[in-house]
Formats: sequence, C-alpha cells, structure tokens
Amino acid sequence: MTRRLRVLLRLLGLQASWTYERMQGVGLAVAMEPLLEPLADYPERSRAARARSAQYSNAHPFLAGAAAGALARAELDGEPGDRILRLRTALSGPLGALGDQLFWAGMVPATMAAALIGVAWGGALAAVLALVVGFNVLRIAVTLWGIRIGTENGLAVAHAISGSWLPASAPRAGDLAAVMVGAAVPVVSVWLLRGGSQTVAATFLVVIAATGLGLVTMRKPVSAPLLTVAAAAVTLLWRWSAA
Amino acid sequence: MIAANLLPLLVWGTVVGLDLASVLQGLLNRPLVAGGVAGVILGDPETGLRIGAVLELFALDVLPIGASRYPDYGAATVAAVAFGAGQEWAVALGPSVILGLLLAQVGGAGIVLQRRVTARALRGAALALDQGEPGAATRVHAAGLAADVVRSVGLAALGMAVATLGEHAPRLDLATAETLTVVAVSGGFVALIGGAIRRAGTRRRIAWLAGGVALGLLGVGLT
Repeated sequence: MTRRLRVLLRLLGLQASWTYERMQGVGLAVAMEPLLEPLADYPERSRAARARSAQYSNAHPFLAGAAAGALARAELDGEPGDRILRLRTALSGPLGALGDQLFWAGMVPATMAAALIGVAWGGALAAVLALVVGFNVLRIAVTLWGIRIGTENGLAVAHAISGSWLPASAPRAGDLAAVMVGAAVPVVSVWLLRGGSQTVAATFLVVIAATGLGLVTMRKPVSAPLLTVAAAAVTLLWRWSAA
Repeated sequence: MIAANLLPLLVWGTVVGLDLASVLQGLLNRPLVAGGVAGVILGDPETGLRIGAVLELFALDVLPIGASRYPDYGAATVAAVAFGAGQEWAVALGPSVILGLLLAQVGGAGIVLQRRVTARALRGAALALDQGEPGAATRVHAAGLAADVVRSVGLAALGMAVATLGEHAPRLDLATAETLTVVAVSGGFVALIGGAIRRAGTRRRIAWLAGGVALGLLGVGLT
C-alpha cells in the first residue's frame, strides 16, 4: 500500500481523538506517520518531527490531507521547526473555512436535500444510498487531492491552494445547497403533510408559518427541537385534559 | 419486532454513531440514511424513510463546525424508527420524531463526555507527545476511538431500550398521534427554513434559495 493511501485511511479517522486542547492535533500526528517514515534513519529529527506533529491543529477533516502533506514535506525538507509550527497554525483557518463552506454548508445540505426530494418523489432507499456513495467518492477524491497538493508544495501549499479550484468552488457549493434546500421545501412538505391527509391549505400554512418564524428569528435563532418538544408536550396536555 | 432485530439495530446504531465525527463522516449518520436502513432492517422501509426525513429537516439546521456542540441524530433516528416501525406512518411519525429529538440531545451530551475522556488520555500522554515518543499519539488516538465506540454502543442500547419500552406502552389515540405528526413536521420546517434563511446571509444567496423554492413548486405542480 502506498504511503498516500495509508495517510488517506488514517485521515478517515482523523477526529477520533478530537479534544478542546489540541483539537485534531493528535489525529493529524497519526495520519502523518507514514509520510515521516523516511526520517527513521535520523532519530533526532524524527523525534522532533513527531513532537511537532501532535501539536494543536484544526482544519476541515476532509481537507486536512493538505496540512498533513505540507507539514510532512516541510519536515522531510529540513525546514526550521518554528517555520513548520507557524505553517501548522496558518493552515488551520483557511482549510477550516474553505472546507466548512464546501462541505458542511455546501455539499452536505445539497446532497441531503436532493435525497429528500428523491424520496418524496418515490425514490427508494437505493436512490439515497447512491447519493451517499457519490458524496463519499467526492470526499475521498478531495482528501487525496489535499494530500497530493500538500506533499508537492510543502511550505508553499497556501499559495498552491489559493490558485486551485477550491476557493472559487466553495461558495458555489453554498449556492447549490441553497437551491436544493429551497426546492426541497415544497416537495417534502407536500409529501409529508398531504400524504398524511392534511389539506393543501394546512400544508401551505405550516410552510408559511415556518418561513415567518425563520425570518423573525434570523438574528436570534430559536431551538427548533426544543420548540417542537415543547409544542408536543402542550399538545399532549391539551388532548389529555380534553379526554 | 425490535427484539427479533436487536443485534443488527445495535450494530447499525453504533456504526452511525461512529460516523458522526470519529470515523469516515460519510453521511451514514444523517437521519434519512440511518432511518432508511433501520426501516429495511425492521421490514418497514416506508416508515424508516419518513421518520428519517422529518429528523433530517432538523439535522439540516446543524453546522458541525469546530468546537460547536451538536445533537447526534444517527442512533436517535435508528431508535425512533424501531419505535415507529410496523404502525401506520401518519400515526407513528409524530411520537417517533419526538423520541428521536430527545435521544439526539442525549447523544450530543454523550459527545461532550467522550471528549472529556479523550482529554484525560491526552493529558496523561502530554509529556510523551511533546517529546516525540514513538507510539504516544497512536495510544491517545486509540483511547479516543474506544471512548467513541463506548458512547455509540451506549446510545444505541439506550435508544433500543426506550423504543422497546415504548413498544409495550399504551398507544395514543389517532387524533392525538396525528396532531403530534403535524407538530413534528412543522418543527422540522421551522428548523429547515429558519436555518436556510440564516445561512443564506447575502441577498444573492437568498435569491438562490427563492429560486429553489420556485423550482420545487414547479416540480410539485408537474407531478
């Protein structure tokens, strides 16, 4: 198995040791180990590299390969330790922000909204699973790309990423998510409410009320789960008192 | 129905619990996926997908960014489907979703506990890590993974226990159950639409959102 493939497999479990102190630091150290193997003939350098590799780090987990690759490349190139630690800190913000935009606020809601629409229009679980497989192919391709761009560019990885497809694509993923989530609202509301024998008027009333509440609470969001549980409790009390 | 499928439900609940943050993060934890598969295990995919879909509306409002605290909808959805499977979905949906919402909060609290356990292992190995001792990072990592396995198994087992108790509890009357379904679905849309508007932020993104709604309405009209 190639070193990059071993790094990829370890990156799939990057956040297993997530803590508030070092965040993904320890996971990144475990993921980088295969890339640091060439240092085994230099025990002092190897020990120093391992110590640095377990310090604080926090990137988006799917883009952490870029950090692992770049930091390992810098260690192998014999860059000064303080520069490597500065790179580690400097990469956290951009890799976190870009990954959050691309995946958490983009591809994840877009994929799940598409899956909801597919199910509402009669698609079976197989359709949902096909979308999940597609998402994972993308996620693994992006992680492998990150490992490659990191190992090829070392300390210059930030420049390489800024000139890549990533900065322009991340906001586009958010646009796609907005369209898909918007499209899911009428399709899923009709499926869930009218399928449950509610009238057209009741279905639109629910959606319009939810939109109104969303607009009113834009600046100070309400907890929808808490609101729902409270409304359910009131409903039960009302029904039982009427019985 | 739950007792006959207990082992596969526990295994699936554990897998989706691990998928939340520790291993893969490949959407297996999403309620629509977790619920759909749980429905297939229980021989009632329709109910699984519908309960998963409503909980998915809530999950779409969650951004698992950095150190934020968030509920764990995966194993909670598996338990909710176990509770609702085999019943008429319009009756089962509301009570099952409410159960799922409550268990998801318990799962979220479990994540905080798991991270405390990992932090303890980290503090114990801090010197070894800072001295670059071989194997130190792997040991802390394994401790964190083991803690999440325990958390995920525990949440799945708790969910199955609650669902089994619910299976033997007296059923709600039809009107109450249907009202709870409307409450649960409405809550889901508050989460979905409120979250989408807040996240849109810019006028341009709100225009994309509105365009999506128009597309969805067109789709509803055509089908």
